[in-house]
Amino acid sequence: MSATKNVNVAAARPQSVLERMGPDLPRQMLQEMLLIRSFEEKAEELYALGKVHGTMHLSIGQEAVAAGASHALRKGDYLLNHHRGHGHCIAWGSDPNLMMAEFLGKENGYCRGRGGSMHIANIEANNLGANGIVGGGLPIAVGVGLSIKLRKTDQVVLSLFGDGAANEGAFHESLNMASIWDLPIIYLCENNQYAMSMPVQRSMKVERISERAAAYGMPGVTVDGNEVTEVYQAVAEAAERARRGNGPTLLEAVTYRWRGHSKSDRQVYRTRDEVKQWMKRDPILRFAALLGVDDQELERLRAEAKRRIEEAVAFAEASPEPDVSTILEGVYA
Amino acid sequence: MAKEVIMPKFGFTQETAEIVRWIRREGERVDQGDPLAEVTTDKVNMEVEAPAAGVLAGVRYKEGDVVPVTEVIAYILAPGEQLPAGAAPAPSPSVESATEAGDGDQRPHRLATPVAQQVARERGVDLTMVAGSGPGGRVTRADVENYLASAGGKVRATPAARRVARTEGINLTEVAGSGPHGRVQAEDVLRHLASKAGPQPPPPTIQPVGAPASGQPQVLPLSPTRRTIAERMQRSFQEAPHIYLETDVDASALEELHRRANARLAESASPTMKEAEQPLRPRVSITALLVRAAAWTLTRHPLLNSRLDGANLLLLPEINISVAVATDHGLIAPVVRQADRKSVSQISAELADLAERARQSRLLPDDVAGGTFTISNLGMFGVDRFTAIINPPQVAILAVGRIHRQFVPDEQDQPVLRPILPLTLGADHRVVDGADAARFLADLRECLEHPEIMVI
Amino acid sequence: MRELTYAEALREGLRQAMMADPSVFLIGEDIGRYGGAFGVTAGLIDEFGGERVIDTPISEAGIAGACIGSALTGMRPVGEIQFMDFVTLSMEQIVLQAAKIRFMFGGKASVPMVLRMPAGAGTGAAAQHSESLESWFVHVPGLKVVAPSSPYDAKGLLLASIQDDNPVIFVEHKLLYKEKGPVPEEMYTLPLSQSHVVRQGRHLTLVATSAMVPRALEAAEQLAAEGIDVEVIDPRTLKPLDDAPIIESVKKTGRALIVHEAVKTGGFGGEIVARIVESEAFDYLEAPVRRLASLDIPVPYNRTLEAAMVPQVENIAAEARKLVKGKY
Repeated sequence: MSATKNVNVAAARPQSVLERMGPDLPRQMLQEMLLIRSFEEKAEELYALGKVHGTMHLSIGQEAVAAGASHALRKGDYLLNHHRGHGHCIAWGSDPNLMMAEFLGKENGYCRGRGGSMHIANIEANNLGANGIVGGGLPIAVGVGLSIKLRKTDQVVLSLFGDGAANEGAFHESLNMASIWDLPIIYLCENNQYAMSMPVQRSMKVERISERAAAYGMPGVTVDGNEVTEVYQAVAEAAERARRGNGPTLLEAVTYRWRGHSKSDRQVYRTRDEVKQWMKRDPILRFAALLGVDDQELERLRAEAKRRIEEAVAFAEASPEPDVSTILEGVYA
Repeated sequence: MAKEVIMPKFGFTQETAEIVRWIRREGERVDQGDPLAEVTTDKVNMEVEAPAAGVLAGVRYKEGDVVPVTEVIAYILAPGEQLPAGAAPAPSPSVESATEAGDGDQRPHRLATPVAQQVARERGVDLTMVAGSGPGGRVTRADVENYLASAGGKVRATPAARRVARTEGINLTEVAGSGPHGRVQAEDVLRHLASKAGPQPPPPTIQPVGAPASGQPQVLPLSPTRRTIAERMQRSFQEAPHIYLETDVDASALEELHRRANARLAESASPTMKEAEQPLRPRVSITALLVRAAAWTLTRHPLLNSRLDGANLLLLPEINISVAVATDHGLIAPVVRQADRKSVSQISAELADLAERARQSRLLPDDVAGGTFTISNLGMFGVDRFTAIINPPQVAILAVGRIHRQFVPDEQDQPVLRPILPLTLGADHRVVDGADAARFLADLRECLEHPEIMVI
Repeated sequence: MRELTYAEALREGLRQAMMADPSVFLIGEDIGRYGGAFGVTAGLIDEFGGERVIDTPISEAGIAGACIGSALTGMRPVGEIQFMDFVTLSMEQIVLQAAKIRFMFGGKASVPMVLRMPAGAGTGAAAQHSESLESWFVHVPGLKVVAPSSPYDAKGLLLASIQDDNPVIFVEHKLLYKEKGPVPEEMYTLPLSQSHVVRQGRHLTLVATSAMVPRALEAAEQLAAEGIDVEVIDPRTLKPLDDAPIIESVKKTGRALIVHEAVKTGGFGGEIVARIVESEAFDYLEAPVRRLASLDIPVPYNRTLEAAMVPQVENIAAEARKLVKGKY
């Protein structure tokens, strides 16, 4: 019987995790976090300029979860993303050009402009898409896990969802099925404290979401979602379990979103003070410090990330709109 | 009161006609029925007759003018009568006129084209009820017809009834409806159409000679159908120089195919089983096989599936075979459309349906229009072979005689008894040369004697 | 030709599909050891093992999601929802995920799955176990909806649905499971989106679906004896619908009657009426197009009431008679 862990993990100290990551990966991850931050800030800017149709769900402040989780996995593993998923999409290796093009609804975006922010997918890289329905990807994860088992490969599925989704019926059905069949799924709950306006403390009786793992007989682990190495370690361990055939794990990464739920959120449910407090614990600054990157270097890296994103915007803006005559395409195979 | 001479509608889809020549002149005395002008539409030349006796006056169009149907082209004045006010000679056809005092009781009404006014008068439509789509809100003929076709408020009629009324130019308000709430059904319109063509007596029975009679000839007024047939036959015979080619086809393979096809159809009668060919209860007829073979051969000889159009020859895109059917009212030729694309069983079913409806006078205009080649089969009447007259504007016709058994030499020159089907192809020599006709006939024979060609 | 029941035909189809293609597997409640609530999957677990015939907890959303996720990643799942009524618990997954994934992702993914479910009243299962909800799914772009009416159709359409690369809602009927009919032994498919003219006729076009098809045919036989010749058309695939044969038929007959079991208001029949009236067949109509369908009530438990709610053979014959005799 697998032991359930419901407390903060201190399983591995950051330094040893860094060592295990090797010489190049940590730096790469920092750059990626900066890229994500730039992407999100630029997205915000474009929206303010009226260039984006619809709304968007920014993940500023949650970069450590994206970088930490993706890089603990292998090429060929599957990603089922949630609606606040630009960061995960970038960390999974997507081209910011094509993401930005999709964001602006262009024909050469990842989804030919048909999906937009909430449904960005990169099927070739086994990124099976962001989901506009809270918890919508959870039952699908079961299917992907089953498929892996039936095909007898050692792939795993990273199933991302938020604290809000943990209260959907689909959460229960999915985790239950994954557990009885020992499916290779890493259920990673990105607990950013709020499901839109609903604080997590008011929406559940239990303290930690990872406690719910006990109900399904699978390990439950809570980590500091703003500490890259902790996220990395927890996901790596869960992936190893899954590949060994020991089934799913429920991980909870505690983090915080700096911006409102979406662009139309006036954030009346929390105080500016609270937001400021969390901003001081910026995961990018923390990781940079851990890596011994000084301010000057950090600024250089930040500028590089900004430049890359500017490139992406230029690419996207120059990209063509879909031709209305193709409107009926893509409904049926 | 002045009698109007209007440009009549001769064909189902005819919209206009061109005045070829005036036979009578302004100021001449005419009798009722006298031809006044020769007009043409779509290669069909017709004559406009005087609707009454009197003096031809107020001629409004000249030779070469193209006039919309139902438009007034002249008047017949009785002694002492004047031309109606505003009936100036030769107006342009689409000029608006606020009033058109045709018969005096026309209220002044808003803008409507003369044609629209005419149609409205004929069909009892109150023009003030009709929305105008022309410039300045003018009511056009199409507006009046649309008004009639759509519920117009007044007549309950099914869509099918309206369609027939539209194409036949019948005023729905004149038709007695047999449907619920007095709704007019399509069959009501057809019945009305039949009765409207004059007092349509049941086909007159011809008394055999020697019956106790007065020694006078029995008078049978020509029915409209008969008149039309007469005109068309004469015109075809006069205008198209016919050449005739004969051949005798060995019908063994045809008869064998016929037998096997029907055996197969009889056997696979379960309604839920076969997909490829929906099983049909009726049998496949020899005529259906002929239609199919002819259609197949025509795909290889488009010249015989054509039409003369002035200085051009039109090779027609569809192969629609007219099949002559004898009815009590005369010969009629309903059409099997796109016969090259249908299976023999489909053709057979269609023919059976068309023939039955022809006999019941329930054919619709679409059933007889658009034929590109005709097959006429008198074999069932015991006729050995015959020559037929081409059905204009087609350029060929196939006359089929009686299949009879005959001794023919086989490969060893021994006499064998074979069923022989005589075919006589008539072709319009203006368009089809002897060699063309011969090649067609040879291919047709080949096809009938080796029907497997059609699937190879 | 040997005869199988509708259930046996489905089973044979599943079996043959699984033998031919290792990516095909079954998933649903009680389909393994139990053999399926209506016995359709009986014996298949013995042949293919528990890995390919997967019993699930009672989790309809999970079943649908399992189908979607596995279809997205190389498999061809055939899920079973025990009663069509329960599909309501998996609506989000079917409507917002399965149906839309391909389109949302710019055509770059596909979800080749089949979700089978028995619909219909007549077994006394009452309001929550007797639904016919196919029109809901017809209304969702990206889904295909198939409804076989005979054993022959069941096997052929099921195999075609499994081979199709789209999510297919496969609507079976409880009362048809025991009906027998000729079924070829080999693997064969019937094309999706092709309507079937089951019986030719000249006086009336009768469009029927699922369990109403055999009833329509029986009514047609009765009417034939009275000289009324009815053409019966079974669309087989409700979405995408092949309406061309229906339109051609109405042009020929001038009269149309649509019969389905689902409740009349908002039922699929309305779609067919609209298609007829919007087409060139409109100009050939001699009477209003009529629908015969279930009364707008939940399915009652009482036997007599249950039967009175749904169109029966005599109802179909009576309505057809009225249409042909000009009572409408």
